[in-house]
Amino acid sequence: MKRRITYIQRDNAPFEPQQAVLTSKSLSVRDLDAAREDRITVGLNELPQELRAILEQSHELHLRWASEQPYEAVAPFASRVSPGLHVHYTPLNTDTSSEALCSLLRTIVGPAEGAQYKDCSKPEDSFITPPLLSTRFASSASLQYHTRLELLQPLNKWIRDSVCAQGKDASECHARADSLLSADSVDIDYDSISHALTVSSLWTSPPSGGWTEQLDKPVSSANQLEIGILGAEPGLEPEEIKMGGLLAVVGEDKKLKPTMFSFPSRHQPLLEPATYTVSFASPTGLHPTMSISMPRSSLRRPPAPSDSTCALHTYLTLPSTIFGDQYQLGTTDILFLESHNLVALRALSGEMDLEAPDWVVDRWGSTWLLELATPLEDPSDSSNWTVTVPLHLRYLPPSETGYRTAHVPWPVVFWACTSEEGTKMGVNPFDRTNLGWDGLFGPRTMFYQLQPNSEHLLEDIEVPVLRLEDGGLFRSKNIELGTCLVITLGFFWVLWRLARVAWSSGTASKPSKPSKPVHDKKE
Amino acid sequence: MSLFISQTRVFLAATALRLILLVYGGWQDAHSAVKYTDIDYMVFTDAARYVAKGQSPYDRDTYRYTPLLAWMLVPTAWEGAAPWSTLTFAFGKALFALSDVLAGWLVVKLLVRCYRFPVERALRYVAAVWLWNPMVANISTRGSSEGLLGVLVAALLWATLTRKPIVAGLILGLAVHFKIYPFIYGVSILWWWDAERDGSASANSNLVSRVIGFITPSRVKLTLAALASFVALNVVMYVQYGTPFLQHTFFHHLTRIDHRHNFSPYSTLLYLSAAGGAETHFEALAFIPQLVLVVIALPLVLAKKSLTTAMLAQTFTFVTFNKVCTSQYFLWYLILLPFYLPSSTLIQKPALGFTAAILWVLGQALWLSQGYNLEFLGLPEFVPGLFLAGLFFFAVNVWILGIIVRDGGEGAGEIEGESEDRKLR
Repeated sequence: MKRRITYIQRDNAPFEPQQAVLTSKSLSVRDLDAAREDRITVGLNELPQELRAILEQSHELHLRWASEQPYEAVAPFASRVSPGLHVHYTPLNTDTSSEALCSLLRTIVGPAEGAQYKDCSKPEDSFITPPLLSTRFASSASLQYHTRLELLQPLNKWIRDSVCAQGKDASECHARADSLLSADSVDIDYDSISHALTVSSLWTSPPSGGWTEQLDKPVSSANQLEIGILGAEPGLEPEEIKMGGLLAVVGEDKKLKPTMFSFPSRHQPLLEPATYTVSFASPTGLHPTMSISMPRSSLRRPPAPSDSTCALHTYLTLPSTIFGDQYQLGTTDILFLESHNLVALRALSGEMDLEAPDWVVDRWGSTWLLELATPLEDPSDSSNWTVTVPLHLRYLPPSETGYRTAHVPWPVVFWACTSEEGTKMGVNPFDRTNLGWDGLFGPRTMFYQLQPNSEHLLEDIEVPVLRLEDGGLFRSKNIELGTCLVITLGFFWVLWRLARVAWSSGTASKPSKPSKPVHDKKE
Repeated sequence: MSLFISQTRVFLAATALRLILLVYGGWQDAHSAVKYTDIDYMVFTDAARYVAKGQSPYDRDTYRYTPLLAWMLVPTAWEGAAPWSTLTFAFGKALFALSDVLAGWLVVKLLVRCYRFPVERALRYVAAVWLWNPMVANISTRGSSEGLLGVLVAALLWATLTRKPIVAGLILGLAVHFKIYPFIYGVSILWWWDAERDGSASANSNLVSRVIGFITPSRVKLTLAALASFVALNVVMYVQYGTPFLQHTFFHHLTRIDHRHNFSPYSTLLYLSAAGGAETHFEALAFIPQLVLVVIALPLVLAKKSLTTAMLAQTFTFVTFNKVCTSQYFLWYLILLPFYLPSSTLIQKPALGFTAAILWVLGQALWLSQGYNLEFLGLPEFVPGLFLAGLFFFAVNVWILGIIVRDGGEGAGEIEGESEDRKLR
């Protein structure tokens, strides 16, 4: 097992040498004002059987979880995904994917009663297939899943019950599992080449008073604990990030070693604050329109090389309850696109059926990559720049109140810029891929995230549904009987009319009555 | 009223109305993000583009029509510079609008020739109901294919009333291939077309000879021709496009769950049932009242008294008792109204006619206001709003249907002087 803990201090954060004390047994930090990443790499044989069985059938498996609470993504951890749990999965054998993965997912999501959780029995049936730029050099997994997951309690419980129960140091394991509960984002990665599982948790801000903890040298010599206390700043090249600070391997190094290094990074910070807000214009009806609103000052071109091309994008992760019309959004009609401040629909995948109600949809939802228009720079214009995305709601099952809630995670909004030929993003020790949207761009694209500006990164839409009150006048039994009665009455009314005609004159053609006035009297 | 005297003027005005709407539609599409063109037309033209590239029209989601439609619209897929592409894009709409006018022309011809209407009177009714009806012109110029059905039904009537069984059969087969529902006309026409109408006397009294007498050359020709064109078209399409053709053109309409709100009285029940909340599933039996009336009772009682009124009543019943009903379905019976209206009690007793019209419009208005509240304001109006509005609209339709049936029994819409026709043969 290898563990890497990285504290990232902001530019102006204070640091005194006595805040980090290294001994031969441990490193102690005190009141450290920093973001913190905790990355644990575990070999397959150290994992519980249930999980190992799943991983052994996986070519790659990447879980990305992000909190619904806002957090500030700092370099080099500047990338974002929509809140909730994202799963990117490629089975080892394309014919047989793991049903066990679905049952594990159910365990760690722990869907509550009435939650809009799309259950899966097999990944092929419930996961969606993202578009691949190239099947040969696939940069993203072949199957994708997303669900709302507000809190990591069920995951914490599962780790405590099945992972910690195996290890020797249960209390240490419990503490680490519990620490997940306050994380802003958690990544879990496995691929069949490294045969190792990596769990990276990120806290973008310290607990009140700063990080104070003692990190002990691992008991077993097979385990390693590496710690860095670093700061990040722009590198010499626009695609680079430069980092400097102190590093130590606990138990090996006698003292903290000063260090300075730089590397190209695909995820870059924007130097000036840039934010966006997401809302749905009220009333939402059955065709809600998502608005993404940005101060014009947030839309200055990112600090990419001057010869690179940059474009603003948004990536929507929509649950099955709400969807876009691929033909409406995929149009090339300039008038439509301009009226929504859209440039084009660049990629889409998932549940596209325009007619299906939610209960017949098997897959969890859909993803949409849209390129957004940006305003011409006009310093005198202080209004917000608003992009709108017309969406539609599926029919949901009846409820007692006449409403059900569709939870729509905020999309991510970012710039994508081309970088120079030959830039190798993979050498970045903090590189992050398999986010859903990154694989839709070339491998040398640089991304600059805008920061969502809200207390809660999720929009709730009230979806009108059939209201069924137990014991009410319009309960289901009465709707059934009422419809049946009215139609039967209508049927017999017409039959009776026909019977009267047949009774009075039979079914044969009428004998011609020469005197019958056929013309209107007016003529 | 001198305007009506000239056929040329009526048809020129109808054509001009459609041309103006076509040009206006092109202008609105080019200048506004809100399009004049119907979404369905985008489906047709997308499918036509696939067909032009040698692909299947069913590669386009929600294309649920015969490939014939996509083939007809292949010119819309022709690429070209700006003015040219606007023209090719409008080709299908122009075709639909032309079908409209042609359908109206056929109806006028039939009214004059078979129903002995003075030209002016025929023009008056057809202009009011069809040719100058802004709704009809609007629907076809927005690019909905219902206009094609209008011309097929008018042509079917023309072939039938002018005693061309093979042509009638071929058209019937084509119409059913195009949009399943015209099969109901086959029953009426077959029952109507007895030996007497072929000009031979029929004084058979015993059962056996009556049964044998039922099989007349015209009926056999009509049936075989209809089967031949229907089967031939389907075989050609199946060979070309395989199962997706069958799935989207036919099976989809049989297996779809119409859970979305629409004018049908079954709408709320279907939503409830599709979501798993119904216990009895009455809706599975919905075809019984619909088909008993449309396929058996109405043709049997009315077809021989007045073929067009029987067909109108069939269409009206089919739409009213259907599990799904949207406003384009109303066009289906509009084309048959000019035959019925002139001698109907709805015209002869204006109070009755007004009451029927007001109740029908009221039913629509009630439903639409509830639909607006649901669709745009997001209010849960399924019950009681849409449920009761749907049942009320059904009741109004059934009441009007009763009037049509009574009128049909009285011989409204009956071919005038047909007995003289018979004498001449």
